[in-house]
Amino acid sequence: MHAYLNTRVSLFAGRLWQPADYDALLDADEAGVAGVLTDRGLPQLATGFAGRDSRSLEQILIAQLINETNVLIRPLSGDQRNFLLFWTGRFEISNVKTLLRGKMTGERPAALLSRLTPMGAFGRLDMQELAHTEDMNELFRRLEAGPYASIVRPAQRAFAETHDPFLLDAALDRGFYEGLEQRALPLESAAGASFRRLMGALIDRINLVWLLRYRFNYGLPPAQVYYLLMASRYSLPASQLRRLAALDTLEAVLEALPEPLHGLLQGVTGIAEVYNRLERSAAEEARKVLHSGSPAISRAFAYLLLRWRELRSVRAVLRGRHLDLPTAKILLAMYDAGAGRA
Amino acid sequence: MFRAEPLVKIRLHVLASEAADAALVLAHFGVYCPAQHAPEELSENPAEAYRETWLEAASRTAKLAEHCSISSPPNLPEGAEAPTLDDLEKLNDWLKEALSCCLAAYAGETRIAEEITHLDALQETLAKLEHLNVDLAYLLRSDGLLAVNIGSVPAGSLKRLGEALSMAGFLVSTFDTVADQVYAVVAGPRERHEEVRGLLAQAGWREMPIPPELRTHPQAAREWLIEERKRVAERSQAECLILDETRSRYRSGLDEARQVVELARPLAEAALLGVRGRGTLASLSGWIPRRRVAKLKTDLEARFHGHYWLDIEPAKSEEAATTPSLVHYPAWLTPFVPLVRSYGIPRYGEFDPTLPFAFTYLLLFGAMFGDIGHGGVIVILATLLYKRLGKVAWIGIAAGFVSMLFGLLYGSIFGFEDVIAPIWLSPLHNPTQVLSIAVIFGVGFITLTLLVNIRNRLFSGRVNEALFDSGGLAGLAFYIGAVGSIANLAGATTIAAPFWILASAGLVAVAIFKWVETKAGPGERTLVSAIETLETGTNLFANTLSFMRVAAFSLNHVALALAVFALASGLDAVGHWLTIALGNVVIIVLEGGIVAIQALRLMYYEGFSRFFSGDGIPFVPLKLMDAK
Repeated sequence: MHAYLNTRVSLFAGRLWQPADYDALLDADEAGVAGVLTDRGLPQLATGFAGRDSRSLEQILIAQLINETNVLIRPLSGDQRNFLLFWTGRFEISNVKTLLRGKMTGERPAALLSRLTPMGAFGRLDMQELAHTEDMNELFRRLEAGPYASIVRPAQRAFAETHDPFLLDAALDRGFYEGLEQRALPLESAAGASFRRLMGALIDRINLVWLLRYRFNYGLPPAQVYYLLMASRYSLPASQLRRLAALDTLEAVLEALPEPLHGLLQGVTGIAEVYNRLERSAAEEARKVLHSGSPAISRAFAYLLLRWRELRSVRAVLRGRHLDLPTAKILLAMYDAGAGRA
Repeated sequence: MFRAEPLVKIRLHVLASEAADAALVLAHFGVYCPAQHAPEELSENPAEAYRETWLEAASRTAKLAEHCSISSPPNLPEGAEAPTLDDLEKLNDWLKEALSCCLAAYAGETRIAEEITHLDALQETLAKLEHLNVDLAYLLRSDGLLAVNIGSVPAGSLKRLGEALSMAGFLVSTFDTVADQVYAVVAGPRERHEEVRGLLAQAGWREMPIPPELRTHPQAAREWLIEERKRVAERSQAECLILDETRSRYRSGLDEARQVVELARPLAEAALLGVRGRGTLASLSGWIPRRRVAKLKTDLEARFHGHYWLDIEPAKSEEAATTPSLVHYPAWLTPFVPLVRSYGIPRYGEFDPTLPFAFTYLLLFGAMFGDIGHGGVIVILATLLYKRLGKVAWIGIAAGFVSMLFGLLYGSIFGFEDVIAPIWLSPLHNPTQVLSIAVIFGVGFITLTLLVNIRNRLFSGRVNEALFDSGGLAGLAFYIGAVGSIANLAGATTIAAPFWILASAGLVAVAIFKWVETKAGPGERTLVSAIETLETGTNLFANTLSFMRVAAFSLNHVALALAVFALASGLDAVGHWLTIALGNVVIIVLEGGIVAIQALRLMYYEGFSRFFSGDGIPFVPLKLMDAK
């Protein structure tokens, strides 16, 4: 089973884009873009890429990732399968957010459905039924009876008390990543340090960026910021997060970070740059795991992390080209998206 | 019964304003399967808005029907016309309003239930606070240094909330738990109270309003609670009345709405695939049976009086992959249809194997599990479970009877081989003969599957494959020749040379075909054609030998019974018969299950895989749900 998964991951890893591939996509003339995409394993994007709106482009990229995940989870069972299934569920949580926002603004079901990401075999929600709910209350009621009840219920309570869409999204995100952490726990002991490093890089990055945004962009009080973060068992445990949330400036937070985060973020001046550096560091870690003899599930997870990063880069290039942006700006967009070649 | 009914492709052109009525006529017609083959010039989808509105209206109607406990389909009046988009939009607005009222009434009931829970919690709080001997009036005063909140929070949020509150100098102390809600007191410095308000809201904190009475005297508080309960009970009654009134107010309108929604269903469903148009023209395309063309023309004429245009085109064999399959089965055969459908749907024009499947499956089951007693038990069990199993029970009943028939032929009853004499032969005493018969049956079965495959390929226009491929005429020639040669070597026939020649010719033809078909360099071509030709031979013979399991299982059946008798023979009378009874139960459950699966496996892998593509499209007609 693991030999099959390892072979599959190695085959997929061979398809990951190299810097030269991005250059080829950037340098290709309009007629050559389809060829570059097809040659580099993204034929679905090659058809009509130029005329697509950003939403349908995103849907194709997600469909690509879902197809690959489907292949990878085929030989898996138990905790490993649960983990990757739940990881893919983040796209469905994103659909839930779209549905909730649509209901807030009274959007019609057909328009709402067209904006949702098709989940294929991974879909656990009846999107038709949810899109045809009358209002947020009915939508929440149906969601609370579904597979994401544990994520939706706290978010619903928070929204009922605050009526703040931002806090609703924050509660859904926190619920999802805490669920992911729970599912990762049994794998960390079984799959060892490599898996823990991947999860640590992911959760620490999200927690730190959320902390900085909530504290300094949105000006939330420390206690609320801490509440909105995930309970983490990696480099930034609860006590550390409490201490950081209580600090008053970005510089003070960065200065108080433990190693290796402190060293990694030396000289950073803004939150976007914090995200980019941590993103690149996580990608580097994923690349090491992918090309090592780590357990198959670690390599599969590393591949999926890298693949999604890569697909976002391709999207940035295609959108940049579609908007006739100069190459330098496209590169900057890739960098800002945390998915650039660095 | 053996293949899908011949279909014709239709394109019905009508005015866009009459598209809904045209779809309704097609739905009444009963055998129209929508499919997209309108001309490219008709690039618009004139029914898109209609479908969107219908989906909303249908969803709302279903919810309202659920609220009003209606589950039967609506009664459609004779000659009713389909609603226009305008009608449907008006209905949708009415449904929206009706559903909002129902949901509001439902929410009212939910609020009452919440209030009752809240009062229960308040009563418990009162009892607990009495024991604490706390002066609530002092504790909750608004000008004190301490800010105090009393309320509830989801149990899962409590730990994190406590940690977060401690950052603002606040403490949380729980005093009760009801379901997943924890009741707690939160206290901290008043000057930082604003800071934690957002946090509490984020954590889903629900403040418990402490009435002034509760802050004064316990007796007064109790009286207040009794009064509150009375008030809530009155409100509950009022809410029930509102709900009943809402239901009765909308009920008659809902009946009409259900009719309208049902009459709009045909166009809304056809819009997914078979409706295109341009300007004021709409075209509905799809498939109907060839023999029903005249009836459709009559129906259309009656409704549109010549104001329509109908294009009819026969289904072409090269379109078989995209043409739906409409097969009619007699009622007695329908229980077997799901077993064939679980493998796949016959492609249009392909041989439908349901009838031979039913006979062969029963034959194989009976041959492997031949016992009068065991078959009788299966018949009785399937009959008793008829209500629960539905039509599937007929398979059990038929299999049981065939098992009894083979039990008579084998002379076997509950494993006893010496109670009745076999009409035909006893597997235990004639194992070689039974094995030979199984292999001969296998040869006949595989020959039949090859013939069906040749017919299917010829129908779909793949003549070269039908003649020269390993599953075609060349493969069949090789198989018959090789079987004849082996029979000659075994002394079963004296004819030798014609069989060798036939086998060689067949194999050479297959090899040449594979070589021609393989698009690669000479080396790879030779290798591929050699391996695939070799595989032709090994596969056919491996599949033939697979049928030896039929004999093996009939012997196994006897062997299992012998094992039970051997165990029982060493016991006293009670133990003896108990062991035999339990042993028979084990044989029926365990071996019966295995044989049922093995028979299915033989049908799927040695049979269907040879000729049945199973990638057909089901013929799903446009229909109305009418109570009549």
